[in-house]
Amino acid sequence: MQDIYSTNPKTLGRGICIITGASRGFGRALAQEVSYFSKPGSVLLLVARSNTMLQELKEELQSLTKDQQLMVHCIAVDLSTREGVHETVRVARQEAINEMDHVLLINNAASLGDISHFASFTNLDEVNSYLSLNVSSALALTAGILQVFPCRPGLRWSVVNVSSVFATQALPSWVLYCTAKAARKMMFGVLAEEEPNVKVLSYSPGPMDTDMQVDIRRLTGSNHHLLPCQESAAKLMKLLLDNNFLSGKHLDFFEV
Amino acid sequence: MKKSTEHTVAEHTHTHTHTHTHTHTHTHTVPVPPQSFSMSSTERTDLGRALCIITGASRGFGRAVARDMSRLVKPGSVLVLAARSADDLRALQAELAESEAGKAGLVVECVVADLGQVEGPESVVRASKAAFSEGVEHIILVNNAASLGDVSRYTKCFTDMTEVDSYLSLNVSSSLCLTAGILQAFPQRPGLQRTVINITSLCALQPFPSWVLYCTGKAAREMMFKVLAEEEPDLRVLNYSPGPLDTAMQEAARSRTADPSIRKSFSDMFSQGQLLTCEASCTKLMKLLLEDTYTSGAHVDIYDL
Repeated sequence: MQDIYSTNPKTLGRGICIITGASRGFGRALAQEVSYFSKPGSVLLLVARSNTMLQELKEELQSLTKDQQLMVHCIAVDLSTREGVHETVRVARQEAINEMDHVLLINNAASLGDISHFASFTNLDEVNSYLSLNVSSALALTAGILQVFPCRPGLRWSVVNVSSVFATQALPSWVLYCTAKAARKMMFGVLAEEEPNVKVLSYSPGPMDTDMQVDIRRLTGSNHHLLPCQESAAKLMKLLLDNNFLSGKHLDFFEV
Repeated sequence: MKKSTEHTVAEHTHTHTHTHTHTHTHTHTVPVPPQSFSMSSTERTDLGRALCIITGASRGFGRAVARDMSRLVKPGSVLVLAARSADDLRALQAELAESEAGKAGLVVECVVADLGQVEGPESVVRASKAAFSEGVEHIILVNNAASLGDVSRYTKCFTDMTEVDSYLSLNVSSSLCLTAGILQAFPQRPGLQRTVINITSLCALQPFPSWVLYCTGKAAREMMFKVLAEEEPDLRVLNYSPGPLDTAMQEAARSRTADPSIRKSFSDMFSQGQLLTCEASCTKLMKLLLEDTYTSGAHVDIYDL
């Protein structure tokens, strides 16, 4: 891991990075990677529901990056609500810095949903609520941030969709999760087709040691070898720094 | 060469051979409808005594499905037709009542419903349960109702979560809840075949600029029905892509699409007479159902046939 830090001279530039689901798990690990690779004067917006955990993360990041003048803002909102999405966009607009050369949006917030037989999903409100957080929210937020920071020459724009192997692989009892991940993969694929100046990456991080995985184990009895979040986050960071990926691609931790 | 994690639809590993035995005798009290395709000894000529549920049945492809189904189901069958337009549904119901099948006893029920609302799928399930009778040997659910979404805007313009939620409710959630409700209402049992059809699109597989809602919804549905196929090996699940049809949806596509090259290609298809009639595409769908050899969960496009 040390090799990546010492041999890669690339940075994310001086810009604004927004990470959703930043308080724990993969989002938190990404926040650490981003703060390390951002140039002085950059802004990092951490979005999650828990203000307490976000503030702890902010303190941790600021203590690690003292000299870097990284401005960290915590946005404690529920992204399954339009108010949550609007507030995130509002703060992004408010905290934008002059002479920014990079916007990086990482759509990581997600939920597992009920793992259950297909025939059990007769409740439209439950399904709508799930799709609202896992699909609509990512679309509305991405659109909102694109409106705040329109593409222009000299501005590097990167969007990450934290995806899953289950975006392309159907798994019994996982209809909600598979459906939402497949939806997001296509959604970000359309964005990539439309916006030649936005680099879009769907990244499948592999099975990681997160709270979501605890739920998966409890509900399914599965017992994979789990990756440390930091390891998968480092790999995603390398992809972003190298910036060689084709926009719209769906890449998996185990492939790159 | 890096191995791709993207599974093409052809790699879907579900191989299912379906054996279907009729235990009743065929007694025709009316002339057998003329066959428009060749019969082999293994191909069925009808879909049995069926309860067939069709959403978006009032016009376009859904209406063509209702008409073809009426001709292919045996006497004692019921069609449950769901749509928002009461007038159009009743007109179709009247037309079918006057048809040969209607006169032979085909029952047609109408359900006026907005599938994007909670009551929508529930009312269709209720009507289907009420329409069921013990002689029914085949449940056929055709998830056809859909909307195009606003194709005049690009992805970056969809800042309103409510609009996206509403779109997904109709185009994704309702087909999950309706299908789940029907499967619960009519569980697997010997002597009952269950077929679930998802009307899909090339847009489920390929991103189209300025079509974010439609592509997202179709991709979501296709995965949804693939999960169903994986879970329920006794169920026949067909993701049928009907091709570019000459419908109101197509008219909206060619007149409102923001992306110039997509709009032109739709416009050219129309002006060059390359759009398919709903009837022509529906005929192919019926053939697929009668042959019943498709791989459950597979994406089958009319141009593959």
